[in-house]
Amino acid sequence: MKKTLGVFLMAAMLLAFVGCQQPAPKEWTVPFLNSLTGRIASIGEYLEWGAERAAKEINDAGGIKGKPIKVVGVDTALDPQKGSVEMARLVKDTLVALGPVPEPVIMAAMPIAVENGMMSITATTSLEYANKFFPWTVSWFPSTEERLAPLVAAWAKQFPEMKQVVQFVEPYGPWPGMADAHVKGLEGLGLKVLDKVEVPTNAVTFGPLVVKALNEKPDGMVFVCNATATAKLIKELKSRGWKKMDHLLVFSSGDAPELYATGGKDINGVEIYNYINPNLDNPRWNAFKDAYAAAHGGNQPPSLSTNYYDAVYMIKEAIEKTGVTGSPSKLKAERKLIADYLQNVKGFHGIMFDWDMKDGVPTNKPTFIFQIQDSKKVLVQEVKG
Amino acid sequence: MPLPLYYFLAITAVNVLMAWALYLPYRVGHLHFITVANMAISGYSAAWLVMSLHVPFGWALLAGFALGGIVGYIVSLFIGDAPTFAVVIVGFTFIYITRTVIENLNAVGGTMGMFGLPNIGGNPVAHRWIILAILYGLLLLVGFLIHRFDHSQLGRAASAVFVDKDLAASLGVDIRKLGMQLQTFSCTIAGGCGVLYGFIYRSFHLDFFTFALVGIAMTIIFVGGYATMWGSLILAPILYGVPLLFPPAIQSWRIVIYGGLLILVLVLKPEGFLTRRFVYSLESFLSGIRKKRKTQ
Repeated sequence: MKKTLGVFLMAAMLLAFVGCQQPAPKEWTVPFLNSLTGRIASIGEYLEWGAERAAKEINDAGGIKGKPIKVVGVDTALDPQKGSVEMARLVKDTLVALGPVPEPVIMAAMPIAVENGMMSITATTSLEYANKFFPWTVSWFPSTEERLAPLVAAWAKQFPEMKQVVQFVEPYGPWPGMADAHVKGLEGLGLKVLDKVEVPTNAVTFGPLVVKALNEKPDGMVFVCNATATAKLIKELKSRGWKKMDHLLVFSSGDAPELYATGGKDINGVEIYNYINPNLDNPRWNAFKDAYAAAHGGNQPPSLSTNYYDAVYMIKEAIEKTGVTGSPSKLKAERKLIADYLQNVKGFHGIMFDWDMKDGVPTNKPTFIFQIQDSKKVLVQEVKG
Repeated sequence: MPLPLYYFLAITAVNVLMAWALYLPYRVGHLHFITVANMAISGYSAAWLVMSLHVPFGWALLAGFALGGIVGYIVSLFIGDAPTFAVVIVGFTFIYITRTVIENLNAVGGTMGMFGLPNIGGNPVAHRWIILAILYGLLLLVGFLIHRFDHSQLGRAASAVFVDKDLAASLGVDIRKLGMQLQTFSCTIAGGCGVLYGFIYRSFHLDFFTFALVGIAMTIIFVGGYATMWGSLILAPILYGVPLLFPPAIQSWRIVIYGGLLILVLVLKPEGFLTRRFVYSLESFLSGIRKKRKTQ
């Protein structure tokens, strides 16, 4: 009798223990702290589109470990106040998140993710912002100076007669640092970098800025400002007789739809550098391009549109390779597993190319210089850091 | 304490204080947007003191208040009795000047901002409790002072200035001195708020101090009621908190909801939800109850 009672009690305790274990959720939910309203809502839209596209592809192929993945957009509206409250909500039970976007929200919200040991992939900011929050995020870009100096030097080498270069610089977040990296590359070639022309963020008239730059008698110009301002500056330059269009270089953040929409034919011949090459020909990228065009009135995918697409696939790989279950009772340990895995991913199959991460920093991502022709980018050269 | 609640309480307190910092000069008809620049100046300065010179947070906070007051006082020497429009222009200009100066100061991170501000009290939990204690202590103190001001001779003088400057001057009100006092006090509050705002996030970025903050404070004041301090106190948590409870689909519409609300209030209740008449009636009603209790 006693033996039966003992077995019964043990079975009851086991059942109670099993009952206490919270079951793993039926789907992988990945919140995406994004600016879906406000000044950069158009960027937020295509970032979100890329992430959702990846989720759809993954789900169509059977999900992650048989469970679907769902990307949930959380609007921070470019507001640090809202970003911090939303992040504070997420860290309670989220396994891994995407974002935040952009820098002011990252700075307000990421300390919360770090404090609570939750990985949140900030795939649109520079290493100099992301590395403050390692190991709870990764950088999508290598060190600004290491990568941009040789890139701009490669552009300048095309034109041996070029002796003096001026930069238009908008004082926003990492952009002045990018301009400094350009200076290193240009001065390394023995070129003279003239006094920069500062482009106010809310500038409405660009004539005086162009006149100021032309007065310095440059042979080439580099644009480190937002896409609309860049297009307007180039139009002003052209209207004042500037002919050497390939002696104008636009930095990667200027590679946005506004550049082409505002610049039109006036930016033909201008060179631009970026981390992705839209001319690549592989089935995945081609399908992405077609789907993007279908959803966006025939437009080509902007340069950042693949970042969160790849980030979702990276999360998939981390879950599959680390044996993460998604069980709430293992949340802390599994968050750490994902973070550790993402810091040093090897041979990650991105939509455009494979790359490795070392301690949260990509080590072998290529960079490209293009020439703009009728709103399309024609590859000039690939530059390795 | 749950983290979202902490952020909600902390940010709400900052919003109420910043709304009051605008409310006070508006008592004499000044829309003093320089308070946002004051937040940035004091906030960055205090962060620099803590990060670079290792000054204890308490002293840095006091320095932030003092710096806010000094900047406010110096500016008020020139615009203490200026017309509303001139005060608005000075405020906007000051925000631009402050941004440009900070953008070019590498010591405070320039355009990148400042990262990794330390936890006050040594750990995140203590940090949060200390921040909340300071903010709500400040809220009580400033609220008490404004309440006393509103019921003082100075408060009545401010009301007279708001209605008609010439009339107020003929009654013996020193308009310039009153304007200077209110501007200096509001800048002092804003300076302290700037320090606390950055320490809530434990980082500083110039885009923490944009015209969006002016918009938030303006909406709180004008929807809540610009004629009493209570409107800001009640509306700040509602305006900021309710949208957080919205489902994601409606959240995207919150700017439209704010805008619609503002237009509705301006059309239907130009003085805002809480009018001075309402507050006086409530006060009379409550004092009537107290008197009754005493006589019983």
